This record gives sequence, C-alpha cells and structure tokens, in this order.
Amino acid sequence: MTNIEHDEAAIVIIGSGAGGGTLAYELTAKGLPVVVLEAGPYLRNEDYVNDEWEAFNQMAWLDPRTTSGSWRIARDFPNLPTWIVKAVGGTTTHWSGATPRFKAHEFAARSTYGRIDGANLLDWPITLAELAPYYDKAEVAMGSTHVHGRKPLPANNNYKVFANGAKRLGYKFYSTGPYATNAEEYDGRPASVQDGFNFQGDKNKSKWSTLVREIPRAEATGLLDLRPESHAVQITHDASGRADAVLYLDKDGNLQRQAAGLVAVAANSIETPRLLLQSASPMFPEGLANSSGQVGRNYMRHTTGSVYARFNDPVRMHRGETMAGVIADESKHDPDRGFAGGYYLETISLGPAFLASFGDPGAWGRGFTEILEAYANTAGLWVVGEDLPQESNRVTLNTTVSDKNGLPVPNVNFDDHVNDIAMRDHGYAQAELLYETVGSVGAQRTPPYPSTHNMGTSRMSARPEDGVVDSWGRAHDVPNLFTSDGSVFTTSAAANPTLTIVALAIRQAEYIADQLKTGGI
Amino acid sequence: MAFPAKYPQMNATELTDEARSVLIRVIRVAFPHPSFPDGPYERTADTILREAENSTWFRVALTQGLLTLSNLAGGDFRDLNDEDGTKVLRRIETTEFFGFIRRTTVLNLYDNEDVWEILGYEGPSFDKGGYINRGFNDLDWLPEARIESYDGPEQLVEIATPVSVARVRGGENASAVARDTSNQPGKRDAIMSEMTK
Ligand SMILES: Cc1cc2nc3c(=O)[nH]c(=O)nc-3n(C[C@H](O)[C@H](O)[C@H](O)COP(=O)(O)OP(=O)(O)OC[C@H]3O[C@@H](n4cnc5c(N)ncnc54)[C@H](O)[C@@H]3O)c2cc1C
Repeated sequence: MTNIEHDEAAIVIIGSGAGGGTLAYELTAKGLPVVVLEAGPYLRNEDYVNDEWEAFNQMAWLDPRTTSGSWRIARDFPNLPTWIVKAVGGTTTHWSGATPRFKAHEFAARSTYGRIDGANLLDWPITLAELAPYYDKAEVAMGSTHVHGRKPLPANNNYKVFANGAKRLGYKFYSTGPYATNAEEYDGRPASVQDGFNFQGDKNKSKWSTLVREIPRAEATGLLDLRPESHAVQITHDASGRADAVLYLDKDGNLQRQAAGLVAVAANSIETPRLLLQSASPMFPEGLANSSGQVGRNYMRHTTGSVYARFNDPVRMHRGETMAGVIADESKHDPDRGFAGGYYLETISLGPAFLASFGDPGAWGRGFTEILEAYANTAGLWVVGEDLPQESNRVTLNTTVSDKNGLPVPNVNFDDHVNDIAMRDHGYAQAELLYETVGSVGAQRTPPYPSTHNMGTSRMSARPEDGVVDSWGRAHDVPNLFTSDGSVFTTSAAANPTLTIVALAIRQAEYIADQLKTGGI
Repeated sequence: MAFPAKYPQMNATELTDEARSVLIRVIRVAFPHPSFPDGPYERTADTILREAENSTWFRVALTQGLLTLSNLAGGDFRDLNDEDGTKVLRRIETTEFFGFIRRTTVLNLYDNEDVWEILGYEGPSFDKGGYINRGFNDLDWLPEARIESYDGPEQLVEIATPVSVARVRGGENASAVARDTSNQPGKRDAIMSEMTK
C-alpha cells in the first residue's frame, strides 16, 4: 500500500462501498493514485459473525440520526432510519446480491409517467443505451448469475415456495437471479455454501463486495492509500471555488487535512448530503454544490414491504441464499394498477431475532407470537419498487443533536407519496395471492425496514437548477467535486440500486481519467 | 445514566424477588409461547432488571409499574389467567412501563439459542459448512421449480399502455428543457423557478 503525503493534492474518495470502492479500483487500475477515507474499521470476512444482532452491532452505522415525517420508521425506529454499514466495503458487506438492471423508460420517469402531484420527477440526463456497456462491465465484475454465462444458483426452500406460487399465479419472469453470488467458483472466489447469512457478511467470500474484489485489487496496484476509521467532516475550497482539501477525524479523534486535487463523495445517501451541507462556506452558504437547493432533497428509499406466509409444512427459509429469487412480472409500468412505476418481488428471510424486531414493530400478544411460533413453516418475500422523489423528503442537519464528535447529526424527513402507498398495497396483495396458490394458512404484512436502499440526495440533472451533479456525477457548481454513490440517482427505478451504482462508478472513472489527461478538470 | 436518588429512602425502589416474579408473568402473558419453558422468560426478566439498573427513568417506571399492577388486576397479577392478564396489559400498553418491557423483550427473548431450537431456527451455520449438504433444498411438498430465466415466447411488456413520450426518449436525446423542467414539472416552471430560487 502506498503512502500519499497529506499536502499532496490527491484524488480523495470518501467511502469504500459500492460506489467508492469501485471508483478506487477503477482509477488505480488506470494508474492514478488515490486516497480513500473510510469512516469504518477494516474488518475481514473471517471477522464476520453468524448472528443477526451481533453482526449488526459489529458493522452497522450506529452514529445517532434523527427522523421526522409520517413514515412508520419515525415511530418505530426513530434513531435508525437506515441500515447502512460503516466498515471497509461499505454496505456491500451486508447486502444480499440482487442485481436487476433499470429499464429504458425508468431513466425517463418524468416523460413516461407525466406530471404527478407532489412528486419532483425528472428524467435522468443519461439513457439506458449509454449505460448498457457499463452494466455489462458491472455484471462481469460482480459475477451476476444468469448473465454473461454465469450459472444460476440452485433453488432453496424459500425459493421453491416463491417460484411455485409465481407459476400458479401466472407469472413468467421468475428465476433465482440475477444475483451477485457465485453458484460455482468464479473470479478466484468459491461457490456459495448456502449458509443463509447474507445480511451479516459472507464469511465464504462467494458474495461480491468491494471488500473481496475492488479493495484488494486496488491495493495490489500499489496506488491505494486506504485510511480506515477516518471520518470526513468537511470539504474545503479555494478562492476560485474548487475543492482543495478534505478535513477528517482519524481514529484517535484528531482532525487531519488531506490536500485534494479532486474529491469524490461516496458516503451513501445520508452522509453524502450531510458532508456537503457541513461544507457550507461564505461562497457556498447553502452547502457545497448546492446552488440548486437540491442537496439532501428527493431522498428515496424504494417502496418496500414484506409478506411472511405460514404453511402447514416446513419451509426453513433461513437455509440458503437470502435473496436468490426474483420475480419481474410486476416491474412494468402499468398505470392500470393504480400507480406509476413498477416493483419486483424477491425472496427474503430473517432469523427469529430480526423477525421479532421488524416483523410487526410495536405488536405483542398472541397475534405477535403466532408469527414466531410458525417460524419453521414460514416463507418470506420482499416487495421492492420505485418510489417517487419529493422535495420535502429530505436530509438536513439537525443542529440540536450532535454525535460523539460534536458534529450535527443528519435528520431524515420522509412521507410516503400516495403512489408509494398504492404500490405497496398492490405488492402485499399479490404476494398474499401468490402464497395462497401454494396453500398458505396465514400471512403477515411487514412494513418497510430501516432503509437499506438510499438514493437521490445529490441527484443528476441536465440543468444545474434541477439537481446537484451532471450526467458524470460531477457537481454542477464545483468542477473538481464528484458524487459517486446512490445519491446521484435522479429517480429510483424499481430495481435494487447497487448494480447501477457500480455501473455508474465504472463509467465515472473513465470520465475522470480522461478529463485528467486532457486537462478538463 | 443512573443518578443516585436524592433521598436515601428512594433507593428502596429496588426491585424485590416478588417484583421479579410479577415481571416474569407479565412477559409470559404479553408474549405467550406455550412451548417455551420458564428459562427464556426468566432470562429476559433479568435482562430487563439489569437494564433498569442503568437508567433512572426505566427503574422508577418499572418499579412503580410492577408495584401498582395489582391495583388494575384487582389482586395479584400472577393469579390472573392468560386472558384476564392480557386485558390488564392492553389497558397499559401505551405506558412507558409496558413499552420498556415490550421493547426489551422483543430484542432479547428471541435472541438466544434456548428459543431458536424450539422455533426451528438453527443458528450459526458457516462452521458446519452451511446448508449446501444439510437441507437447503429439502422441501418436498411442492414440485421442483425452474431456476433459469424465462425463455418462452412472451416478452415482458415494460410499458403496458403506450406512452408516446417515452418512445421518443428511447435512447435519443430530446432537449431536456423541452421535455422537462424542474421542481414543479410543466412548461411554465422554467420562468417560475427563477423567482423562487
Ligand atoms: C441488508 C441489506 C441488503 C441489501 N441487499 C441489496 C440487494 O440485494 N441488491 C442491491 O442492489 N442492493 C442491496 N442493498 C443495498 C446496497 O448495499 C447499497 O445500495 C450499496 O451498498 C450502496 O452503495 P454506496 O456506495 O452508495 O454506499 P455504501 O456501500 O453504504 O458505502 C458508503 C461508505 O461510506 C462510508 N462513509 C460514510 N460517511 C463517511 C464519512 N463522513 N467519511 C468517511 N467515510 C464515510 C461508510 O462507512 C460506508 O462504508 C442491501 C443493503 C442492506 C443493508
């Protein structure tokens, strides 16, 4: 590993997850040295534990946050709006692996859906055709099953219930993927042993994460200066308005300054806007790169919900790959269903500890214990669909509450749009029908978990007044500042976000390398 | 954080053995699992008592709650059957006292091997080689299911109703301004936004 001097104007990437880890690898592979500041520790696969709460407490981002708005999260988990990981590899360590692509029209949500009251819809400044070659690269990098010759994962018990139900309901487009976990050895990593611990970090390294692929490869180039336990607190700028350094707290709580020639923020959609807002200055009074006023706004979490159905016979959903089951039939845009946009159905499973906490938050009594009593005979699925950007769904700085470093914590305000509610209800109903066709004797509708998909708070736009960054993720206002994570999403689409984050980061790396060569930055 | 009580006699709010046994009964009534022995409920009660030691607020709420539950119960809460006990708890479910018990129980009762086994959950599995050879696909009451992508004659129709604008957008670049504007979409907005920004 290389050592970059603190006063050398370096390429500084903040965050080592899907976006930041990918960008770091792609740039070092092109011969460019980079500093990666990562707030979390450098844990390895061996450190992970097969235990829901222990793993969560080991790696989740637990720094205080606050919530407001009418979403149920603000009542049930007021200080845990999201499930995001704070460790090298970011949330790709806890993710499960579903990797569908966005559809062409989802890059043109405003044009396709038309004007929708209360929404802040906008078309992306890029198209599917432009992103398609990068989707290919991302799928190859991540080893997505079902594409580029990668074998599908076998059916686990939860999938058998799910797929049989799908078939009987008349769905066609179901399969065990695409899913970025090896069904057979690939890319130097072994096949899945189906241990059922995806959300806790995969000890077997079969699941793609930037921890198992991009970070070690970037290290191998000798051009990566990875600094774990380094929490960025401000991006500073010079008199011309160019970013010139990142201030961060090292593991001992000392403030450090890393000079920067280029800064890429990939801290996930809560911390990215928080950092930009914390970087306000007389020249950028509303926050860095925020002349549009859109930093922190249009926060999206996907329209989600789960259904846990009970059967007379054993299912044992906890055995095997958690989310290796995807139904795409409802991912279309069909306003006849009563809402714009589409959704996927994906298998999901929780252990008793998490099912108790998240299955029906606030509940107790016999209705509650029935859910757990039926554990062994339960099958689960997750509804995940497009939610609409709204200006008031927003990350702001809460200056009345501070974290252990004395920094203002982010507040996440969220209200469901009526479109989100209609879509969720449709998803619940379809899921219940699906399970009824295979003999369910009862079902639990579970509300959204603390958000695992976080998007939109630094969105791409063609025009500077509509968003924060351009089609390359480059800030409209600050020429050497980039955003490289899910916060750049103009709209959420129905698909799980990570494949798109990785594809965009690969594309961004090409652009950055090219611009640095030609003097464009 | 716990502060010592200002008046020494207040420290007598220490929880007695009797209070502990009422607490165990409260947890069992609120989270009834006929198949669970006493162990998991006792373990959970002790966790609650330990946490109460660390928080003045929870300690006073818990002590007061357990002492006065008998008033609502019209006698000893432990003498009520499940149904009557549940009715009493429904009346106090919004109190801080009950909320503290409920939250702590949900987090702890189900986070232990002693109940996992009863519920049919098998705990850590990586050290045993995962489930690849231990029944990840042993469900036999349904037919085998297709795992590959659908390759039949049908195509997923991505847009059910023809929407002309989207077809225009299929890949070419229409001008973003003509197609769309900012926060309140609609043509007029290009002018309005100048005033609001
Ligand atoms: C349980 C779970 C299941 C999931 N399953 C799927 C799935 O099946 N498919 C899918 O597509 N997605 C899934 N996701 C979502 C996926 O993990 C995220 O979309 C993705 O990791 C986001 O990438 P990112 O680069 O935006 O942020 P992250 O991967 O979260 O990385 C951000 C990093 O930045 C660091 N950071 C933050 N602030 C600072 C700071 N100030 N200074 C320094 N470092 C900082 C964080 O510690 C973190 O490491 C899942 C997520 C969870 C939690």
